[in-house]
Amino acid sequence: MNLLTDIRYALRQFRKSPGFTLVAVVTLALGIGATTTIFSLVDQVLLRNLPVRDPDRLVMLQYEGSNTGRTSSHGGENGQYFSYPMYRELRDRNTVFSGMAAMLPTQVGLQWHDTPGLANAELVTGNYFDVLGVHPTMGRLFMQSDEGPKGSSPIAVLSFTYWQRRFGSDPKILNQTVMINGSPYTVIGVSSPQFRSAIPGTAPDVFALMNMKPQITPGWDDLDVPRSVWLNVVARLKDGVSVQQATAGINPLWKALRAEELKTITTKNEDFRKRFVEKSQMLLVDGSKGFSGFRDQLQTPLFILMGMVGLLALMACANVAGLLLVRAAGRVREMSVRYALGATRKRVTRQLLVEGTLLGAMGCLCGIVLAPLLSGTLLRVIFTNTDTLPLNSSPDARVLIFTIALSLGISLIFSITPVLQFWRPNVTPALKQQMLTAAGGHVAFRRAIVAVQIGLSVILLVGAGLFIRSLRNLRTVEVGFVTDHLLTFLVDPRMSGYSLNEVGPLYQKMLDTLSAQPGVKSVALTDNPDLANNNNTYNIVVPGVEDPDNRRPNAEWERVSPSYLSTLQLPLLAGRFISDSDQLNTLKVATVSAGFARLYFGSTDGVIGRVFQHGKDGDKFTVVGLVGDAKHRGVRQDPEPTFYTSIFQEKEPTSVEFYIRTYQEPGQAASTIRTSLHQLDSKIVPDQLQSMESQIEGILSTERLLAMLATGFGVLAVVMAAVGLYGVLAFSTAQRTREIGVRMALGATRVMVVRMVMREVVWLGGLSTIVAIPISLVLAQALRDQLFGISARDPLTIMGVTLTIGLVACTAAFVPARRASSVDPMTALRYE
Amino acid sequence: METIDLKNVERAYKTAAGQSWVLRRINLRIQPGEFITAMGPSGAGKSSLLNVLALLDDEWSGEYWFGEQPVHELKRKQRAELAKRRIGMVFQSYHLLDDLTVQENIDLPLSYKDIPRDRRQSMVADVLDRFQIVAKKDLYPSQLSGGQQQLVGVARAVIHKPALLLADEPTGNLHSTQAKEIMELFQELNREGTTIVQVTHSETNASYGSRVIQMRDGWIVSDSSNPQLQPQDQAVSR
Repeated sequence: MNLLTDIRYALRQFRKSPGFTLVAVVTLALGIGATTTIFSLVDQVLLRNLPVRDPDRLVMLQYEGSNTGRTSSHGGENGQYFSYPMYRELRDRNTVFSGMAAMLPTQVGLQWHDTPGLANAELVTGNYFDVLGVHPTMGRLFMQSDEGPKGSSPIAVLSFTYWQRRFGSDPKILNQTVMINGSPYTVIGVSSPQFRSAIPGTAPDVFALMNMKPQITPGWDDLDVPRSVWLNVVARLKDGVSVQQATAGINPLWKALRAEELKTITTKNEDFRKRFVEKSQMLLVDGSKGFSGFRDQLQTPLFILMGMVGLLALMACANVAGLLLVRAAGRVREMSVRYALGATRKRVTRQLLVEGTLLGAMGCLCGIVLAPLLSGTLLRVIFTNTDTLPLNSSPDARVLIFTIALSLGISLIFSITPVLQFWRPNVTPALKQQMLTAAGGHVAFRRAIVAVQIGLSVILLVGAGLFIRSLRNLRTVEVGFVTDHLLTFLVDPRMSGYSLNEVGPLYQKMLDTLSAQPGVKSVALTDNPDLANNNNTYNIVVPGVEDPDNRRPNAEWERVSPSYLSTLQLPLLAGRFISDSDQLNTLKVATVSAGFARLYFGSTDGVIGRVFQHGKDGDKFTVVGLVGDAKHRGVRQDPEPTFYTSIFQEKEPTSVEFYIRTYQEPGQAASTIRTSLHQLDSKIVPDQLQSMESQIEGILSTERLLAMLATGFGVLAVVMAAVGLYGVLAFSTAQRTREIGVRMALGATRVMVVRMVMREVVWLGGLSTIVAIPISLVLAQALRDQLFGISARDPLTIMGVTLTIGLVACTAAFVPARRASSVDPMTALRYE
Repeated sequence: METIDLKNVERAYKTAAGQSWVLRRINLRIQPGEFITAMGPSGAGKSSLLNVLALLDDEWSGEYWFGEQPVHELKRKQRAELAKRRIGMVFQSYHLLDDLTVQENIDLPLSYKDIPRDRRQSMVADVLDRFQIVAKKDLYPSQLSGGQQQLVGVARAVIHKPALLLADEPTGNLHSTQAKEIMELFQELNREGTTIVQVTHSETNASYGSRVIQMRDGWIVSDSSNPQLQPQDQAVSR
């Protein structure tokens, strides 16, 4: 009953002080909302299990050991990829798994009722859904028996979100035909709402069977190629079999299969042979969270963000604690009366904790409402250019429990300040006071809280400063070619039904059409897009040059149009670039980068005329030119050794990225490009039409996110600290009014009075900054790997932060200082 | 009904110059049902004496007997318990809680005694009725006049039927008509058996009581119940 009284009283107090309540609740909502948002992402990316049957019985296959051939990776380690023949052998000959499935994320053209579009897809084996234990929402899912000979299973399963978005949740889609890459597929079912993929971070719209790979990834079959690794494999342990037992059981089979494969590899290198079989082993990695190379990419940034929001939550605590202390100063009389009337310490503590908990609850509620909005915005920043977000922006039950627990913890922390204030009441002096508020109070405690807030602001601002400068470095780094006034888009005509031998002529037509558009300077294409977080590397063999350890890194291979050099404005260092004369029936030639020449030929001198081949049995190329190094995968990485060949010397060119150098801003040319392509062929869909600068921004999404959030948190922290500092100064100068009046009456000037106030600012702000900076430098070491072109101990950043804090502190002190200097001595001496 | 005895009670505050004595060798016996007025100039120690009697102050020395109970030997918690049950206090500034209604202010001391809600409601209703402030039970202190606030203060002080009622300048913030009402109320309570000790500067207020003690510089210099009293007679060997 008394608890209800305390609650009623607390609510009445909040209603009576709407300003205080609003500031406290908003502060808490921001701290709790931000923490919930980041935790929700951490949970989904790092902690949450796949929404499948018994996820802890799933393992991902991963091997250690050497490999040769082609690896097509979408993140993670190379050892996490297998060839289809290897997968089949492991699946059929093991004795430790009840099922083993494989998958590959890809993209397809999906046409429905004459409306073309691009869709994310996942190629899966027939037993995929069965191994995972996923149930359909409608219709049925794939079965092992659906997977027949190549090309014999034109059936598709839609994801739940895609079914909602593209087909309006229409149940009539079942058994309807959709065109995937120009071929008809029958929709047999819709997967469950919670399930997306065994590869978190991807959000396939449609699932197709593995035996349809030649259609789904035209020009890239590799189903029967043992040395092309591209599949991720997930397996379910048999009942009663532990991971250790399964590992012991699978390794003999793995080694036996590797030994069989080694017979087909012609190398005399003993070390390579040992690493291929004897020293190779199969690892069974926890598969409860699926496979995610994207998880590795986001893990560190997410932990950094979690640390930052933790600091922000602490700031929110400190802020509210400061506000409660101010209120407590005005409640000394009330508490003294309560104690005088018989209240025990326990009762007073309970009352104060109830007030704190209610404030925390209100902040929690607002934070829960805010979190999905923040989350949605963050996800849009991270996942640009996708219609379907691979992560949920709404918090689920686990996250809500976390939020509530966090709110409770925060409430207890900031409630401690008034509890401690009234722990040992000095009743008599308080009751003697005639005023409602008591002078004095725990100003020292408030100063300590403000000092903590300033310190936390310094830490957050240092992080923000480092990320901002790092991002600026990434944006302005020299990539090796000119990135401004460059428009790009991806296209794969095979997804629109073009056959492989029609693609080459189509590309030429597209080059000619686009070159003729107004505002276009030049046009080029490549099958290995630059600065798109993409790589396509090949093993290079130089006749006569041994690589006994087979340890030379692979080279990037770009099949390009002749206009590539002039369009991207790569520097030509020697010889010539690919030209129109390099056609299907002429000598295969290549232009190599300086890095390639140094790595494979030992020097950039005399490379013209040298010969190399890709792989032991691949095509041979004669070097005709040398170009400068250019970054390929991303702006962070060093330039990879690269060789350029003519795409028109390929029998079956695949998907490409077009580059269009424009006279005007690229955005202005976008609609012209779209229109001209549509007029050429309405089935051609340019994907990700954007400027190169936007593309670079896209691959910098993690860095932008960190910079944006760190700055946001830092600014918020500084504002809170400034408000806290203002409060302390305003209170203490009000307290010192009489003293200031006496000083001025005795001859002190206004400047001296201002100096007196500023001394407090310098002391508070200066001490906090001096303590916080070394702490920031230590914590900044954790950010090292996320930075670019800047040290974690960058002195310029430290100086900038110190100046910023100084400026903010002076701004916060301005009004109290002015007020103090305006005191009229006569009025002040009558003050009380 | 208990007799209250103070024997050689002293209270000092530490200052930069040493010690400042506010109560010096106070010997005072309060009989049950007495209405005592403590008078004297500012700084005489009247309020300090009241704070000692109310057990709001712990830093005194000497002996304090509340009936048979040696308060000077009780621990802090035990003293608080005694004060909660047996003593009521009325303040010059009323000290009502601004965010509680009249009813809630009067109920406050009862809520700290773990009395069942029903019984508390009944006791509060009786007091409201007795003090004729039923109509004002849902008002807040800011909505009442000074006299009405003090009335509520007195109601709150007596709701638990204390053996000893202490009043520190109870009419100091009231005009004469309101003051008269309050003093008449005290008189009525005293007639009903409540022992009252008040501190006042007002001779008019003092006349409502049955005994006057004069204080100067921390000493009791005169006591109307003991005309022979000399300050040096206060000295009692320890």
